[in-house]
Formats: sequence, structure tokens, C-alpha cells
Amino acid sequence: MSKQVKLSGRKKNERTAAYIFTIPAMFLLVAFLVVPILYTIRYSLFQYQIVRPDNISFIGLQNYTKLFQDENFWIALKNTVYFTVLVVPFQCVLALALAMLVSSKFRGVAIFRTMYFSPQLTSMVVVSILWTVLYNSNPSTGLINSMLTSLGMEPVNFLSNAKTAMNSIIFMSGWQGAGYQMMIFLAGLQGIPRDQYEAASVDGATKVQQFLYVTLPGLKGTIKYVVMITMIQAMKLFTQPYVMTQGGPKNSTKTLVYYIYTQGFQQGNFGYACAVAAVFFVIVVIMSLSMKKLIAATD
Amino acid sequence: MKLKKAAKMLLASALSLTLALSLTACGGGGGSSDSTGGGSDSQEASSDGAVNLTLWQPTDKEAVENWWVEKLDEWNAEHPEIQVKREAIDRSDSYAYENKITTAVTSNDLPDIFFVDGPAVSYYAANGIIVPISEYFGEDELSDFADSTVAQCTYDDELYAISATESSVALYYNKDYLKDCDVDVKDIESRTLDNPLTWSELAEIAEKCTTDNYVGTHVIMDHGEGLPYALEPMFISNGKDFISEDGSEAEGYVNSKESVETAEYLAKLIADGYANIDPIQDEFLNGACATMLGGSWDVAILEGSADFDWGVTYYPVSDSTKKAVSPCGDWSAAVSKNCEHVAEAGEFLQWLMSKENVASYAAAIAKPATRASSYEEESMAEYKDGPRAMFVEQLQNTAVPRPRTPSYSVFSSKYAEAMTNIFSDAASAHEVKTDYIQEQLDSVVSAFQEDYDMYYAN
Repeated sequence: MSKQVKLSGRKKNERTAAYIFTIPAMFLLVAFLVVPILYTIRYSLFQYQIVRPDNISFIGLQNYTKLFQDENFWIALKNTVYFTVLVVPFQCVLALALAMLVSSKFRGVAIFRTMYFSPQLTSMVVVSILWTVLYNSNPSTGLINSMLTSLGMEPVNFLSNAKTAMNSIIFMSGWQGAGYQMMIFLAGLQGIPRDQYEAASVDGATKVQQFLYVTLPGLKGTIKYVVMITMIQAMKLFTQPYVMTQGGPKNSTKTLVYYIYTQGFQQGNFGYACAVAAVFFVIVVIMSLSMKKLIAATD
Repeated sequence: MKLKKAAKMLLASALSLTLALSLTACGGGGGSSDSTGGGSDSQEASSDGAVNLTLWQPTDKEAVENWWVEKLDEWNAEHPEIQVKREAIDRSDSYAYENKITTAVTSNDLPDIFFVDGPAVSYYAANGIIVPISEYFGEDELSDFADSTVAQCTYDDELYAISATESSVALYYNKDYLKDCDVDVKDIESRTLDNPLTWSELAEIAEKCTTDNYVGTHVIMDHGEGLPYALEPMFISNGKDFISEDGSEAEGYVNSKESVETAEYLAKLIADGYANIDPIQDEFLNGACATMLGGSWDVAILEGSADFDWGVTYYPVSDSTKKAVSPCGDWSAAVSKNCEHVAEAGEFLQWLMSKENVASYAAAIAKPATRASSYEEESMAEYKDGPRAMFVEQLQNTAVPRPRTPSYSVFSSKYAEAMTNIFSDAASAHEVKTDYIQEQLDSVVSAFQEDYDMYYAN
């Protein structure tokens, strides 16, 4: 028989106060997240040209039927998954390596920390424009090709070749984003007690063994968090293809968010763009939950 | 004690709500507090009874921005009853300005007057976003404007926009470098509108001039609207336009045999290494290419910055037809559906498009004027001879506006994507694949036709 727990007056008041304090956050969450999601789902059931909000018609699930037969949607999904699968480990490993590097105490370490973090402070648009110049296929302009040709190699069409464009974006994105994760890893590293390393050292553990059996287990929680946020960020890839490649060449950098943008704004198919957005939302939720379960299973 | 707690609770609630409301105001109040104003703000007459009009235009170079300040001061001083405020919107060489218009349409927050790119006039007109302005520009007055301008600004026999300037594209060449490559520069200089360079002659020059440090030519203006804008004349010259004249059909046009041949010619320039798929900024100015399909606006840039001798000749023609065609089109002013003072907006546009204003604006923006009479003005003296005169001659005789169809934005973005794919394939494979070109141009037809049939076909 369940017994209702009676809260004391003080606890009741605290609970009421807690609810009241959540009002602003709840209000903003509903206004800027829940309502747009509901509207997106609603409009995905309409034929809706963006400049004709006065002339929309209900078409049921037709946008979804079209979507699953749309080759461009599948290409965009494949590219998004490809980007995520490659950039998450690349960025996380790079960030961890940088964090390990700057966690050591040596003269000028603060300069290195600032340097590694600085790309994160620069707008992604600016970074993308800079890297577009760096990647330029003409060795007289593109610094990377200039280096390659000075080493006797052939210049590479980094962004205008379908085989290299997405990988070039992955490399640039990893470089740009690693600074942020580095700071989180750095905080995680500083939370590992020094005596664990000392004990391992006394037991004769090598540096590699210390990393595998002390650092990595100590960073478990941090790694989970970093992987999760990097994955969600990666799924939302938009700025780099928008600025650097416009989804090309040969659709090799067309991502789901970029596809939603082009459908909704450039081509005006707002209803269809909403359908893609709704499916994208479901995919991100499924991936996040799966990841969460996977991580929970490793505990 | 209880009273104290209740007061604390009340204070906390009040603070929370205030915070929520203030944050909401910060987030959602952009439209009303933003200086871009527009929509309902601009509709209101001010307390002294004056009508306030807001005008949107993409941000431009300093000379143009200064021109607007000076001219609007002049208008506002002379017309206290109609006050005009201009908002310069950053375009970022992309679709940012168009996106702002699109979002303003959905929120019913359009300014009274806004500038639209020439081929977008049909799209905005067909969707009722801009209103006809025929009654403010009579036939006599319109006859002074370039035919191509009037055609581009007309939809369904009504004038929906009006432009002060035009643009064109022609072939620039580096005389110094061409001479080094044994190209007959005098022959190029002697060409006329009846005898322009042909595609094969251009390819021959490009081949001669391509070295490790130079490419022979430059054909990619950008990977967006610059592709249909600069390349459409090649397609027309070879026998087929992008879309049928009534703007409803793409099948048999952009994917026709002739169009595939045109795309093959362009792709071959890339495949052979005579043109860059990924040209650097100002490739011609920086001495990295021997010739360039460049805009009329490049004249002023080259005059100011080029450290080599250069020239410009007419847009090249297809070997098979020899038909001379050239691009045209520029930003035009239109009155939005949200404007409650169309008559006042019309009056302002009449003044804005006077021959004197057109002349001084064209001089400031370094583009050809749309009005023939504007060339009599002192400010247009530079257009009497030299490269600028060549552009005017080309505009008056061979200019063809881009397709007038409400599905232009879909066509344009899909065409740009297809041509980028074709060029990319040619650059990677070092060969031209006809089947791939056909497949890409067919995809343009599908996208265009789907949009047209869904929204505009009756």
C-alpha cells in the first residue's frame, strides 16, 4: 500500500519556488523550441511555397512520400553521416592530444593553449573563407598547394574534386572545433588525482600504460560528454558547405541542413523543407538516444 | 515570518517573469526596434503628416553609398510630404539579401520599395510580392530605357520594376601577355560586333597562353547566379536558350543537343587546363589568366589597379551560328505589396529614374545607364568611347535578358549546381563526358519543371 509522503511546509515552499524559477526557462524552451518543432511538423503536411503563406494547401503525407524517393535527400543523409562518423573521432582525438600537450607544465604553455583555442573564437564563416583560400588549387594562391608543389607534388583540387571536398571540410572542421573540446578535456585532466599517476609510476607503469589505465578511465565522463556534443554539432553541418562548396561538387558536400536551407529558401519549397527538417529531427533524436544507451552500457 | 516568505516568493516570481518577458522582447522585438524598420513601421505617416517610405537595397561601394546619402537628402528636403529612408542590406556575394526579402514576405514586413535582381522580377511579380508600376512610366518615357531592361522588368505585360543601370559581359584580354604568347592582338582589337571572336578562336588563344603560371581564360564568374548570367549567351548563340520564351518549358532547351554542345565546349576549356575550375579572386587583375569573361563593372577596377596593358572585345560567338548575344540585367527598384502609399512610391521612382539621376547613379556605380538620354549628361562622358562604349554598343544591339519565368530561382540554383558538377567532373577526369553533361542538364529540366508545374502551371 503506497503511503503518500507529506512534505513539510518549508519543503513545499522550496518546491514551489523551484517551479517558479523554471518559468523563464520553460517559457523560452516552449516559445523557441517546442512551438517551432510543432509548426515544422504541421507545415510538413502542406504544399507551401515560402513566398505564398496565403496560399497553402493540405497534402497529407505527400512530402514524406516524395522525400523517401528523393535521391538528393539520401545523398545529403549519407554525407551527413559520413561527416559525423569521421569528424567526431578525428576532432575528439585531436582535442585530447592537444589537451595532454598543454596540460604539461612548461614555459609558454599558456600561449599554446590560447593558440589552440583561438580558431574556436573565430567565426566559422571567416574560418571557411580563409580555408577556401588555403585550399585553392592554384599554387600561387593556395598555401597548401604551394607547399605540395614545392615538394615536387601535383596540386590537388581540394574543394572542386568530389573525392576530396568532404574530407577537406572534415579536416578544417576538426581543426576549428578541437580547441573547444581541448578545454573540456583539460578540465577533465586536471580532475584526475596526481597520486594515481604517482602510484602507477611506482608500480612501473610506462607513459602509455598510464594513459590507458589512468587517464582514459579518469576521463570517461568527459569523453562521453565531448563525443555527444561533437556528434550533435557535426550532424548540423551547414556553414562550411554553404561558404566553401555550395554543396558540391557533384553533391559531395550536400548535408541535410544545407539541403533543408536550399529547399526552403533558394527553391521556396517550405513545406517540403519542413518535412526534411522533421525527419532530420527524428534522426538526431534517435542517434542521440542510441549514443546515450551505448555509453550507459559501457558503465 | 510567513509574510516575509510570501513577499520573497512574490519578488522571485516577479523577477522571473520580468526576465522572461525582457528576454522575449530581446529575441522577438528585432523587427520593430531594428533600424531596418520596413512594413508597418514605414506605413505610418509621421506626426507632421508626411508619408514615410522605406527602401531596401544591397550594400554597395562607398561611391554608391555616398550617392544615396546625397540624393535622399535632396529628395527629402524638396519633398517634406514624402520622406524616404534607405536601408543598405549586406548581400555577402550570396543569397543573404534575397533571404531577407523572403523572410520579410513571410512576416509581412516588406519595405515599401526594394531592389530585386533582374531575373527575379518575374518570380516576385507572379507571387504578388511586388505591384505593377506601369502607370508611373508611360510608353514615351520607357522608350528611352534599353529594351532589355524593359523586357526584364515586365511580367504579364505589366511593368513591375525599373532599373537605372545595366550590366554586360565581354572578353577582357591582357595585351602584354598575349603579345608574349604570339597572339595577334591587333586582330582582336579590330573585331567589331559583326565579327566577334568565335569559340574556336578563343580556345586557340587560351591554348597558346596556358602555362604553369597562367591559364588561358576565365569563364567562371562565381558558383551561383554568375554562371547563368555570364554563360547564357553562349547557349543562345549556339541555337538554344535555357527556357522557352513563355517561361514554361525547359525540356528541349537547356538539355537540347545544342546546349549539351555548349556545355561540352566550356567543360573542355576546364578539362584541358585552359581555365580554372576554382579561379582565384580577381584572377585576371592578378595576372593569372590571359583572357576573362568579365563584367562591365571590371572596367573601372582594371583602370584603377591593373599594372599591365589590357583590352576588351565583344562576347565570343558560336562557330556554327556566329550569332552575337550578350548578357544584361541589373538590380531594379520595385514597389512591394505591403506598401500602402503606392502613388508616393511611384512618384519617388519617377524622380529616381530621371535621366540626370540615372546618369549620376550609373557614373557612381560604374555601370552603363539604362536611359539613352542619360548618355548626354556630363557624368557619362566616359561612355562615349573606349571599353565602356563597347559595352553600351553590345547592350543596345545584342543584349538578351535572362529567362522571364517565375521559376527562375529554382532554375538558376539548379543550373549553377549542374554546371559546377560538369566543370568539376571535367577537371578531375581531364576529359569531357557527354553522357554526364546530358544527365546534369536533364536534372535542371526536372527541377525546373517540377517547380513550374507545381506552383505556376494552370
